[in-house]
Amino acid sequence: MSEMRQVRLSGFGGQGIVLAGLLLGQAGVMEGKYVTGSNSYGAQARGSGCKSEIVFSDHPIHYPHLIIADILVAMSQGAYQTYDEEVKESGIILYDRGRVVPNMELNVKQLGVSATEISLKKLKNKQVANIVMLGALVETTGIVSPRAIRKAIALHIPKRFQALNLKAFHKGMELGKQINA
Amino acid sequence: MVRAMEKYIRTGVKATPFCPGCGHGILMNSILRALDELNMDMKKMLFVSGIGCAAWIPSPHFNGDTLHTLHGRALAFATGAKLYNPDLCVMVISGDGDLSSIGGNHLIHAARRNLDLKVVCANNMIYGMTGGQVASTTPKGFKSSTTGEGNPHRPFDLCKLVAAAGATYVARYSVTQPLALIQALKKAIRHVGFSFIEVLSPCPTQFGRRNLMDRPEEMIQDLLRRCISEEEAEGLAEKELSEKIITGEFEP
Amino acid sequence: MISRWIKSPFPKGVYYFSGNEAAAEGAIAAGCRFYAGYPITPSSEIMERMAVRLKEVGGIFIQMEDEIASISAIIGASWAGAKAMTATSGPGFSLMQESIGYAAFTETPCVIIDVQRAGPCTGQATRVGSGDIMQAKWGSHGDYQVIALSPWSVQEMYDLTLRGFNLSERYRVPTLVMSDEAIGHLRENLSIHSKVEIWDRKKKRGRPPFGTEEEGGVPPMPAFGEGERLLVTGSTHDAFGFRKTDDPEVHSRLVDRINQKILRNRTEITETEDYYLEDSERAMIAYGFTARTSLYVVHQLRKEGRKIGMLRLKTLWPFPEEAVTTLGKRVKKVIVPEMNLGQVAGEVKKFCACEVISLHQTNGEVIGPETIMEMLKKI
Ligand SMILES: Cc1ncc(C[n+]2csc(CCOP(=O)(O)OP(=O)(O)O)c2C)c(N)n1
Ligand SMILES: [Mg+2]
Repeated sequence: MSEMRQVRLSGFGGQGIVLAGLLLGQAGVMEGKYVTGSNSYGAQARGSGCKSEIVFSDHPIHYPHLIIADILVAMSQGAYQTYDEEVKESGIILYDRGRVVPNMELNVKQLGVSATEISLKKLKNKQVANIVMLGALVETTGIVSPRAIRKAIALHIPKRFQALNLKAFHKGMELGKQINA
Repeated sequence: MVRAMEKYIRTGVKATPFCPGCGHGILMNSILRALDELNMDMKKMLFVSGIGCAAWIPSPHFNGDTLHTLHGRALAFATGAKLYNPDLCVMVISGDGDLSSIGGNHLIHAARRNLDLKVVCANNMIYGMTGGQVASTTPKGFKSSTTGEGNPHRPFDLCKLVAAAGATYVARYSVTQPLALIQALKKAIRHVGFSFIEVLSPCPTQFGRRNLMDRPEEMIQDLLRRCISEEEAEGLAEKELSEKIITGEFEP
Repeated sequence: MISRWIKSPFPKGVYYFSGNEAAAEGAIAAGCRFYAGYPITPSSEIMERMAVRLKEVGGIFIQMEDEIASISAIIGASWAGAKAMTATSGPGFSLMQESIGYAAFTETPCVIIDVQRAGPCTGQATRVGSGDIMQAKWGSHGDYQVIALSPWSVQEMYDLTLRGFNLSERYRVPTLVMSDEAIGHLRENLSIHSKVEIWDRKKKRGRPPFGTEEEGGVPPMPAFGEGERLLVTGSTHDAFGFRKTDDPEVHSRLVDRINQKILRNRTEITETEDYYLEDSERAMIAYGFTARTSLYVVHQLRKEGRKIGMLRLKTLWPFPEEAVTTLGKRVKKVIVPEMNLGQVAGEVKKFCACEVISLHQTNGEVIGPETIMEMLKKI
């Protein structure tokens, strides 16, 4: 099976988009997939538009950038509006419920995930909305296994934040189960 | 006492390239005497220089490792060599233009790092090699091939500059003060940290000729007259002081 | 002179590294133990990783006051015996040129990674370009040679940095890894094997460090502090390093040798890759990131039955003349896509008998598949 899946994570600087992309790509490599990942952001480190694009394949990837998304994650209204039309028909959009008002006329599957809200209310930390979203993404798309994400968290997240991130990831997965049911 | 200095001179070297009356030869001699008095092992000495007449003091003459680099960059090359092999005793010998103008940024940063480099700046107050253009060390009012009416700008006080940047041994002497100069060179060699010695060296060809000191001995006499110690400077009136050059040790 | 195999200093495995991180790891594997650099986007991650890794392996790291100081420091360290590297991008690469000439003329092994960004001048600091290819060859004054390699993947950031050190040590020449922002910042699978092959400069006591019997030879290179009383100068010098600034014969012999030692070994140094060239009527010649796009396009067109292929240049300097000449005889048209106004296309024209078309883009973005498709349709 030569499947290629292209994922675009988008939002604004400071939301942890790049980190989520790193964990996702790392998880793919840990599962033996070929992965390419690239990021882009505005000039400031915080606040301007930001995206992380990851391509997964069972074979070496020639063109390493995303051509059209199978999966779009939008963590801000701006990001949603910029990229909502660049998704395959068979694709899926996951958006942050508290931050994005979706366009219901789009002809793709769309799922609202209360990532920021859960992060703030349940985890008492606004920094892990990205990881909640990652949990929902993994649960609803099966792009990589939860186990691989857990391993990636162990590799890339500083020890003192690992428990929080694992918790956020599991909350996201639960959320994914609910909305996808 | 006659000293056997040949061992410090590279085999094959016959004469120095300096003009008659140039102070760089006296400086060369002083450096070798300081090394001899400390019994330094030339096999562990690395001499780094930039570009200019002064940069030829060690290269090819000195019988250790010599690295003759690019104009202004001697300190950067020396930093790499010293950091990688701390067993080397690294001495940088170059001109005023080389070290303080084109290489000025490297100079203040090397001083700031206080890496163990022994820097000897042969200051002839002019760009000697390129034909006597004004330098960052040419005193105000003096003539050069690019300041026919006299230099309109103030010169650097190199010792103050490097001391402010963090050098931990700083001294200034003239080649007309050879004994004090040799003592200072020995101190710099023994000092662990960034040491800087500014050595006033006459250039009759490019500097003297344009400033009413055509003959080599006139420049020597001028330096003898103008170079005074801090103590000697104390009682002097401002006007008298303005034409003097204060020599001595400024750091530590 | 022979190479030796050593245990990889980084554990064997498959990693998800950025190109810049991989380059640092390739350097460490090659035995690089001295790094001097100055921050500049998009290369800084190399310096940041080297700062950490050199500490771990007992090497020396220093952040210098500018790029001139950085390259000068690595040349000094190289003569003190180190395998040494710096990394930069356009503006810094420009500042380094005089010292690159010094390294070439004094035959000093060292590696410079240029993570190219959109120039000229400060240009677009975070955006991609490959406008430094001609500068890599001609940036310093006078006639000299360098080796310049062009990685197209994260794996090659590792492999070619490692190879860059090996070539640099073998031929005593500054070696440039001409990367770009898109490859430097790309993350991808990186395989690190348990063993790596490395070359070290040869040393021979008492032999002249700047001359050989053979015309295109590489002399041995001792280090400072070994008792050889080295005489190193960037002025014209004889075999022992004595300045000879008005001897025409010494000058022409030296200039000739530092050029010939690279040009005569061109087949050993240059590497190219062929894709579908057996039956191609048209071929692309590409390098770096753009070769990824080109290969993607070639695959797509092959599916449609088009007879198109690709020659990838892994080495840019010395220029792989033979491969390009051969291709020029085989196909009717050669297309050279690149992120500059045709720098390599111009070189290809020198060696290709067939028609050569330059497809260029200088907007700070990578050339995407659609752009190449479109360009191809027009011709
Ligand atoms: C980049 C560069 N610019 C200019 C020169 C030309 N140049 C050679 S020597 C020199 C001046 C040297 O003056 P200084 O360092 O004071 O040494 P001196 O000859 O006076 O002893 C200059 C400008 C050069 N070699 N390289
Ligand atoms: Mg001078």
